[in-house]
Amino acid sequence: MRIITKKPEVLAPAGTLEKLKTAIRYGADAVYIGGNAYGLRSRAGNFTYDEMREGVAFANEHHAKVYVAANMVTHEGDAKGAGEFFRTLRDIGIHAVIVSDPALIEICATEAEGLPIHLSTQASATNYETLNFWKAEGLERVVLGREVSMAEIKEIREKTEVEIETFIHGAMCISYSGRCTLSNHMSNRDANRGGCSQSCRWKYGLFDMDLPDERHSLLAGDPEEAFSMSAVDLSMIHHIPDLVENGIDSLKIEGRMKSIHYVSTVSSVYRAAIDAYCADPDHYEFQQEWEDELWKVAQRDLATGFYYGTPTEDEQLFGDKRKIPAYTFVGQVLAYDEATQMATIQQRNNFGVGDEIEFYGPGFRHFTQTIENLWDEKGVPIERAKSAMMTIQMKVEQPVKPFDMMRKKKAEKKLEMEVKQQLA
Amino acid sequence: MIELVATAESTIQAKALLAAGVDTLYIGEERFGLRLPNAFTREEIAELTEWAHRHNKQIRVAVNAIMHNDMIKDVIPYLAFLEEIGVDSITVGDPGVIHLLRTKGISLPYQYDAQTLVTSSNQINFWAKRGAIGAVLARELTAVELKEIAAQVTVPVEVLVYGATCIHQSKRNLLKNYFGFVEQAYATEKERGLFISEPKNKDTHYSIYEDLHGTHIFATNDISLMDKLGELAEAGLTQWKLDGIFTKGDDFVSIAKLFVEAKEAITSEKYTEDLYEKLAMQLKTFHPAERGLDEGFYEKDPSEIQ
Repeated sequence: MRIITKKPEVLAPAGTLEKLKTAIRYGADAVYIGGNAYGLRSRAGNFTYDEMREGVAFANEHHAKVYVAANMVTHEGDAKGAGEFFRTLRDIGIHAVIVSDPALIEICATEAEGLPIHLSTQASATNYETLNFWKAEGLERVVLGREVSMAEIKEIREKTEVEIETFIHGAMCISYSGRCTLSNHMSNRDANRGGCSQSCRWKYGLFDMDLPDERHSLLAGDPEEAFSMSAVDLSMIHHIPDLVENGIDSLKIEGRMKSIHYVSTVSSVYRAAIDAYCADPDHYEFQQEWEDELWKVAQRDLATGFYYGTPTEDEQLFGDKRKIPAYTFVGQVLAYDEATQMATIQQRNNFGVGDEIEFYGPGFRHFTQTIENLWDEKGVPIERAKSAMMTIQMKVEQPVKPFDMMRKKKAEKKLEMEVKQQLA
Repeated sequence: MIELVATAESTIQAKALLAAGVDTLYIGEERFGLRLPNAFTREEIAELTEWAHRHNKQIRVAVNAIMHNDMIKDVIPYLAFLEEIGVDSITVGDPGVIHLLRTKGISLPYQYDAQTLVTSSNQINFWAKRGAIGAVLARELTAVELKEIAAQVTVPVEVLVYGATCIHQSKRNLLKNYFGFVEQAYATEKERGLFISEPKNKDTHYSIYEDLHGTHIFATNDISLMDKLGELAEAGLTQWKLDGIFTKGDDFVSIAKLFVEAKEAITSEKYTEDLYEKLAMQLKTFHPAERGLDEGFYEKDPSEIQ
């Protein structure tokens, strides 16, 4: 029986220390985080050096890695202090930095020797010679542009030796990453220095000039549809065999701004699918429950991006939005007593007696049940867990473990797209 | 020494631009060059190179596209051709092309041009150490930053002094996709003159079109730094680009002549307030009526931009 021993890495986003630990517990082989400087997510949770130390220690215990994104495109003066920053990361034990700016690459390579460098997707690397260029510069890995197709990846793999990382899940830049300054021009916010105002998701007028000085609107549709560049999100869950067989080293999930509910769910799904494929590639069967799980945290419809062709109007966000069930993260398991089947749970959102909830945990364990009784910390029966972070106890129908999560279905949410199954 | 670099839309216009006093023509094939007014055939590039050299002028060829694998294969014979006909330089934005120049032993001087990504002297010096003879500065830089960069770079840097600014390049066919959704069959190429407007600022005019490289969107106003040329020259920013992508035929040649006049006045230290006011006024008469003009990011305070 064929077994694949060189599994690709599952790389998850971690905006905070809690998300870092969650991602790793739920199967991520590596996480990427932001420091307090030189990153692109000025509004995402960013790590202090102490938090990085704790994150690295936790990751090392779990044989996982921590990368720091320092992918800003610097202006004059922005790179000041970068040498010390990179040296500190190296000494903390950060496993690599993700950089796109050549000035920062040079500083890192010369002033923090020994700290591996990954080229950020922000540099839009789209061909094998670009990878060869960066390999010759000493980089360990290149994150490919999201515009690269599966066929191109196959050829890149054959013609380069540097590690390859690609995005497999999450939101996508509409432009070639780095080549968009809509935000700079429309909002005075620098898209390449963490200020992106997501102008590509706005609704625009569209015109030509019929006569000199006279605009003629070209918007059409009933009801009239505005022009927008906004697109659906990426998901490659149906194409794990292609990702593995083409030798991609690291599979990246987008979303340093996303919740622990999102990070745990998506990491867990890809972990399960990749493990299933690598354990027995010749008898691999896609599991519908993986996809079902991803929809529970989806914000937009999902498609395969540029992997199998240039996206058409079916992958843009036009028209009526599709409704799917929305789930709220309501609690995290702190402890479980096998003898009494009682779970101790930390509340994260309002829930109560009569609610149907779902438990899920690392290793793709999950089950649903209805809450029959709830007790507060002092053992007093309560109807609802209303206070933030309160500790409650409840009886569970199947065993749970600390760090298992509890989610609840709420009213339907509208996806940002019409009814269409885009995944397969 | 001030160098005027201009795009060209045809051989005829190219020759007129050189006759008008432009120093360097910026031309190329659509496949490998980004956002050129028109594509030139290899025969035309060869002919113009010879013509330019005969008149002591230079040819720079656009090889600044974001390259995918298929283009990397096809760009090798193109680079060899450009070397053979002796073009003076090329622009390059994809490090893959730099790697090819090295490994294939092609000796073509290159100017680093990765558009929005060229924003600091350290970056430019990085590329200079790897053979770049110059760099094209991003349009999103303020005067303060431009001057700081000029003081720190080891190679000359080029500033857009006239023309349109690209602010978005997507591999997606954003227009075709929209028209597909609303079931309209409109053309989407540059000649169609399409533009979009901001939701909160309905009078804005962002030109948009599609070509081989995807969809391109341009700033609502074109740039004219006619008023700032003296300042630029003083700061040592002496490579000036004139981009005629949306300014056609004789109008663009006329505008080029104004910049030639300004260059000569500055060189001979005769550049006065009155002269630049006169030139700026004349420029407006040749600039397309439907297109706004401003100074882009030049006068912005760097701290305004978050």
